[in-house]
Amino acid sequence: MATQHKTKSSSWKNKFRERLIEIIGKDGVISSEDELLAYDCDALTGYRIKPIFVVLPSNAKQVSQIIKECYLENIPFVPRGAGTGLSGGALPTDEGIVISLSRMNKILDVDIPNQRVVVEPGVVNLWVTNAVSPYGYYYAPDPSSQIVCTIGGNVAENSGGVHCLKYGVTTNHVLGVEMVLPDGEIIEIGGKTLDRPGYDLTGLVVGSEGLLGIVTKVTLKIIKKPEAVKTLFASYDNVEDAGASVSGITARGVIPAGMEIMDSFCIKSVEETIGAGYPIDAGAILLVELDGPSAEVEAQLPIVEEVLKENKAIQIKIAKNAKERDLLWKGRKSAFPAMGRISSDYYVQDGVIPRSKLAEVLGEIAELSKKYGLRVANVFHAGDGNLHPLVLYDASKEGDLDKTLELAGEILKVCVDKGGSITGEHGVGHDKKRFLSLMFDDNDLDAMNLIRCAFDNKGLCNPGKLFPTPRTCVEPGMKPFKEHPVQKAGMGEMY
Amino acid sequence: MLNKSVLKNLRSIVGEKNTIFEKEKLAAFNIDNVLPEIVLSPNNIEEVSEIMKLASKESLSVIPWGSGTKSALGNKPDRADIVISTKYLDHMIEHGASDLVATTECGISLKKFQEALNKENQFLALDPPHVGKNATIGGIVATNDSGPERLRYGTAREFLIGLKVVRADGSIFKGGSKVVKNVAGYDLPKLYVGSLGTLGIIVEATFRLYPVPEYSETYVASFSSLKDCQETVLTLLDSHLVLTSLEILNPELNSSLSERNDLYVNDSQFSLVIGIRNVGKAVKEQISSVKKICVQNSGKGALISGAQEGKLWEDIRDFPWKLIKAQRVLCKAGVLVTQIPKALQTIKQLSDENSVKIYVSVRAGNGICTIAIEGEDLSIKNTLKHLRNFMLSIGGYLVLQEAPSEIKNGFDVWGDIGSGLGIMKRVKANYDPDNLLNPGRYI
Repeated sequence: MATQHKTKSSSWKNKFRERLIEIIGKDGVISSEDELLAYDCDALTGYRIKPIFVVLPSNAKQVSQIIKECYLENIPFVPRGAGTGLSGGALPTDEGIVISLSRMNKILDVDIPNQRVVVEPGVVNLWVTNAVSPYGYYYAPDPSSQIVCTIGGNVAENSGGVHCLKYGVTTNHVLGVEMVLPDGEIIEIGGKTLDRPGYDLTGLVVGSEGLLGIVTKVTLKIIKKPEAVKTLFASYDNVEDAGASVSGITARGVIPAGMEIMDSFCIKSVEETIGAGYPIDAGAILLVELDGPSAEVEAQLPIVEEVLKENKAIQIKIAKNAKERDLLWKGRKSAFPAMGRISSDYYVQDGVIPRSKLAEVLGEIAELSKKYGLRVANVFHAGDGNLHPLVLYDASKEGDLDKTLELAGEILKVCVDKGGSITGEHGVGHDKKRFLSLMFDDNDLDAMNLIRCAFDNKGLCNPGKLFPTPRTCVEPGMKPFKEHPVQKAGMGEMY
Repeated sequence: MLNKSVLKNLRSIVGEKNTIFEKEKLAAFNIDNVLPEIVLSPNNIEEVSEIMKLASKESLSVIPWGSGTKSALGNKPDRADIVISTKYLDHMIEHGASDLVATTECGISLKKFQEALNKENQFLALDPPHVGKNATIGGIVATNDSGPERLRYGTAREFLIGLKVVRADGSIFKGGSKVVKNVAGYDLPKLYVGSLGTLGIIVEATFRLYPVPEYSETYVASFSSLKDCQETVLTLLDSHLVLTSLEILNPELNSSLSERNDLYVNDSQFSLVIGIRNVGKAVKEQISSVKKICVQNSGKGALISGAQEGKLWEDIRDFPWKLIKAQRVLCKAGVLVTQIPKALQTIKQLSDENSVKIYVSVRAGNGICTIAIEGEDLSIKNTLKHLRNFMLSIGGYLVLQEAPSEIKNGFDVWGDIGSGLGIMKRVKANYDPDNLLNPGRYI
C-alpha cells in the first residue's frame, strides 16, 4: 500500500462530506464523533481506529459513486457488514471511510425450482434459510453468528460453520456476485447458471476479505433439507480418544454433516452456565451429526456407534427428537459465551490441522498453556481439523494480553508445522497478517499481490489487511516489489 | 523460427530424449493447424521453471499439454513456439488417507491417480470424459472438466484445495493448503480451475477426497413427452433423494446409446438416466422411490447395475467421441434447470430446420448440456449461431468446445464473457505480461 494517507484538514473533510451527502443523502453519512465510535472495530475489539466517516449506501450505484470519489481523492475505504468478524477485517483505516452495507438488506429473488436465492450483501445469513425453509430448503453455511452476520461479510471471509465437513463453506454455495471494483466500475461475475466462460473470479472474490472490491449482490445456492438427522453424543476420558473417534468415522467411509469436540474445561464451563446435560467430569465430548436419506442415516448410525465404542467412549447418547438434539447443540453453541462467565477476557484462536494430527496438537497446546501459565479451553470443528482454542486472560493484569497473543501465535505455528493453516474460517484480516508468511513464501505472496493489484492498483480497498508487509503494485513487466533489507530487519517501514 | 542457440538451450534443459522437434512427430501436437516448433517433456518442476525462464527471456509462446484430450478447446492460438508436456510429472506425492486428502504431480492421469486412491477405498469425485485416453489431472483442472456425478459432488473447484504453479516468468508459487478448511490468503486454486493454462502451468495439486460408496445402481426411464420427463426431473430434485447423477438423453442420443448398451427402453423418446451410489440399503430404497416417481409420470424403465451400468455411464460421458469419429462439433451450454425443456425443443427445431443431427445429454440437476452436432459445415455454422443466440436469450451461454478449423473460423468459441472480462484481462496481464501462455486461446 504505497499510497500515503496524510491527515486531511477539516475544511477538506467538510467538502468531502458534502459530496458524499450529494450521493446518498444526509441520513446516509455518519460523521458525529459519538456515532463513529460504533464503527471503530469489529468483533476483534482489541484494535480500534475511528474512521473519518461512515456511509450507508442503498444500492450498487451509490456504492460505485462513493468509491469513485474515494478513488479520486485517494481515500481508503473499508467495507463492513454486521461487524461480527473475528480477525479485524472490518477494522477502519486511519483517515479512511467505512462503507456499511447494512441498508442493502433485501432478498431480491427466491427461485425454488432452480434452487437459487439472490440477495443484497446486508442480508443476514439466517434470513436466507428463513426465506426458503417453508419450501423445505436451507442455506448450508451456518457460522455461529448466523443470526446477525451478513452474507456480504460471509462472502468476504468465506465463512464456515458446524456443518461444513459435508456441505462445504461459503465458497461452495456462492455462484456469482455483482460487485463494485476499487475504481468504481460495477461488474457481474458468475451467475445463476454454472461454469460460465471466463476465469472463476467468484471463487477468488469469496474469501478475499474485502480487498478486491465491494460485493453488492450475491447469487446463492440453496439445498433441500435432509430427510433424516441423527445427533450422537459421546463422552470420553480424554481428548485423544475423541480425536481418534473422528478419524475412525471418516476412515469407515462415513462423512457426517458435522463433528464437534469440546475439552473438559469447556464442558465444565458450559455445564455451569447453561446445563446441556454433559457429564461434568468427562475429559472430552464429541458430537456427531449424521444427515441424509433415512436409509443412509440408518445404515451409518451403527457404524458410528461401533467406532465410538472402539475408541473408548464412556457414554453414548443418541438424541431421540429435535428437542434433545437442540439441547446437545446448545452446549456447543454456548461454548464461547460460557467462557465469558468464567474469565473476564478470552481470545479465540482459529487454526487448522490435518484431522489425523489432532491428538498430538492438543498435547502441544497443553504444554504451551503450562509454559505461559494461561488457561486454554478447546472447542473444535473436529471433522475438518478446525481448532478454536480459547485463551483465557485478564485484561486488567499488566502483560496478560501480550502473553495471550504470544501463546495464540505459538498455537498457529504448531498448526502450520503439522501441515495445517493459520485460519480455517475467521480470516487473516488485521489480526493474523504477520502469520501469513508462516504458510506462504515471497513467491506465493507475490502471486496474491498480483491479484490485488489487478483489482486495486491504488491500494485503497481495505488496505493494511491480509498481507504481512506492505506490497506495492508494479506495472506489468516490471520487477515485483521485494522487501528492503532494512524493512525485513524490522528497522523501518515502507511508505 | 526459433534460433538455433535458443533451441539448443531448451533441449539441454530437459535432455535429448525428452525433446521432440521432428516435423512428422510434431503433427500430434497440432492445435487448429498451428504446430509448435518443439515439444519438451520436463522431468521435474524445476525444469518446467527453467523452460519458462528461458521462454520468458526470449518471448517464446508456450502451450501446456497434458495428454491432449482437450487440445481442441479455445480459440486458435496466436502462436505456438513450445509445447510443454507434463507426461513425466506423473508422480503421486502423498495420500493422507486418514485426512481424506492427496497431493499429486499434475501430469498423472486421472486413471492412475484413482487407482492409487482406490487402494485405500477412496477416490477423487471427478468423472470427466477421456479417462480411458489418460486425461491428466492438470488438464482436467485447467479445463474445469467434469461429468454426471457433479450433481452429487460438484466440480474441481470443490476439491482442489491447494496447488503449485510455474508462472510465465518461471517463478514457482503455491496457493491454498493441504487441509480441507483454509481461508488464509486469496483462494488461488479456484482461479486456476478452468484457466486453460493461461495463468501458469499447474504442476502440483492437492485434493480433498471421498470414500468410495459401497454400492451403485442406475435406473433408466424413457418418456413419451418432454413435459413428463421434466416433471420427473423437478420432482426428483425437490425430493429428499440424494442422487449421484441425473442425465437427460435426447431421442437421437438415447437411440444410439440404447442400442450400444442393450437397454430395451423406447429409443425414440427422451430418457432419464438416474444413478445412485451409497450404502446398499440406501441405494435400494432410493432407487425404488425413483422408480415410483418415474412411473407416476408415465416413464417406463429398467434397472441396471454392475458392468452394464458402468459402461452406460462411460458412454454418456464419452458419447461425442464414441459416436462421432470425424469432423466433430461439440458444444457445452449452461441453462437453468427450469429452462431445459425449452433448450431441448429449440435444439430439435434447429436440427430440423438445418438438417443436422444433434445428440444432447443434459446434466438435469445442473443445467449443463453437452451438444454434439453432425452435418454439413454451413448448416452447422448456422445452427451454432442460432443456438448461441437462443442460449443468451434465456440467460445461459454456449461454448464451442471442439470443431474443425473451418467452423471455428469467425466464431468466438467462448462467446460473451460479460462485464468481468476487463478485470480478467488485468489478472492475465499481471500474471503473464508478455502473453506467452496459450496466447489467443482464451483470456
